Amino acid sequence: MAVVVVGERDVGFGARVALEQGRALGLRSIRGTLRQPQVWLPGLLFPIFIAAVNTSAMGRAVEFLPGFDGVDSLLDFLLVASITQSVLFGGLAAGSDTATDIQTGFFDRLLASPVSRTSILVGRLMGASVTGALQAMVFIVLYGAFGARVAAGVPGGLLLIAYAMVLALVIGGFAAMLALRTGSAEAVQNMFPLTFIVLFVSSAFFPTESMEGAYRSIASYNPVTWMVDGMRYQVIVGLDWSRAAGSLLVAAGLAALAIFGANMALRARLRRAT
Amino acid sequence: MTAPAIPAPSAFSWVPLALALGHRSLLGILRIPAAMVPLVAMPIFFLVAFSGSFSSLLALPSFPTDNVVSWFAPFAIIQGSAFAGFGIGFATVRDIETGFYDRLLLSPGSRVALLVGPALATVVRAMVTATAVLTVALVMGARIPGGALGLLVLFLAAMGTAVISAGWALGLVFRMPNQRSGPILQLVIFVCTFLSTGTVPLADQIGWTEPFARLNPLSDVLALARQGFVGEVTWAVTWPGLVALGGALVVLWVWAATGIRKLTP
Repeated sequence: MAVVVVGERDVGFGARVALEQGRALGLRSIRGTLRQPQVWLPGLLFPIFIAAVNTSAMGRAVEFLPGFDGVDSLLDFLLVASITQSVLFGGLAAGSDTATDIQTGFFDRLLASPVSRTSILVGRLMGASVTGALQAMVFIVLYGAFGARVAAGVPGGLLLIAYAMVLALVIGGFAAMLALRTGSAEAVQNMFPLTFIVLFVSSAFFPTESMEGAYRSIASYNPVTWMVDGMRYQVIVGLDWSRAAGSLLVAAGLAALAIFGANMALRARLRRAT
Repeated sequence: MTAPAIPAPSAFSWVPLALALGHRSLLGILRIPAAMVPLVAMPIFFLVAFSGSFSSLLALPSFPTDNVVSWFAPFAIIQGSAFAGFGIGFATVRDIETGFYDRLLLSPGSRVALLVGPALATVVRAMVTATAVLTVALVMGARIPGGALGLLVLFLAAMGTAVISAGWALGLVFRMPNQRSGPILQLVIFVCTFLSTGTVPLADQIGWTEPFARLNPLSDVLALARQGFVGEVTWAVTWPGLVALGGALVVLWVWAATGIRKLTP
């Protein structure tokens, strides 16, 4: 049976209705994620495992190596890395869910219904962003229980949560763009090695001061380094609004780019559907 | 009427079948070369990423070399060999799910071939990975002061790790013959490789990982593989590695051999 797609121009909405629809779709996205522990649990456990192993196996690095000035424990140093890693992995799941919606036909049903087109994207990204905030909270509390402290206190913790939310928009946006372009969950999952590489070739796990040669140059120009360093300052040294703003601006810039790309992909898919 | 006599199978009748199954497994790689990419690409990525990110670790007091690539290359090769094992695990799950394994179990061939065939294929896969990683490591500046003997023990350790990992993978997928076994397979191999002396020598590990790394047989296997990259090959480092390989081989292949019985109704 052919799906009757309601054209975008035939669907007129007030901002309030569109927001309400976005909220409903966002809640659906969060519920969908929470109901599938196999989707979000590895994204939490893997960074925890890496941090636990590195804190123990490489713990002496903070005494002997450059770039760890003022760092008492490697766990403090790795807090932002774990949040970043977890959010990057979780954001892929959001994109993957979008692709699954396309594959299962749910996306077509949304298009056939009088739902604001923008809400479809906004809902999914809102869900990813809230999930990112939850992930950041889990890491702050859990690592706190093992002795990690955010030097900037409560404002620093809130900044970390805000960072996780914006970062989720970045990866969620890029993943949604890929999902809307390809309609394939597998294609979105294939982004996983790329996120792994981007994360590893940055200062997430070790400071750039301790790297050498071309690797150090690449890591220094990696936006993940710019985001992580600014946020790590809040954990290790203390509250610094300008560094925090720098981090958040980089993340927001990338998020804007990703959302623009996802929106274009959505428009292209809508054109194909009508 | 006399029933026709069925000739008793010879002690080595399983060999042709094992070779055929190993050959089939390798043909699968040739037909889908993309399947080989993660097997080779992941260890090379780990080599590059670890050598780049953790190059300053050499400043820690007990590192036995001043060449970071020489330190991480054997780790990447052993890791690649372990990945080769779980590749065979996935392939076997696919065969079970598609019903091909049922046909093998119904055939009059020996069960030994069903274990040895995949193990042979794993060794070949691991050797391809080891050669590729070694080539990249040499290009990146790795040194092998242990010479040919150093390479020999490296490849021996890589082959042993591949066979052990295949034993673990087959034992698990025989007991859990579906895709859900995948995460468990990978997780255990990841945990074993990271809770070892893979990244940092024992003397520089300060926390809870130290006792795990001390007891983990893979630490001895890594020392066996790594010795030619950090100095001369010695018997004192070689024999604990061989014992670790032998012990793990017996335990995990008993696990695999008892597992295959669970597939038979």
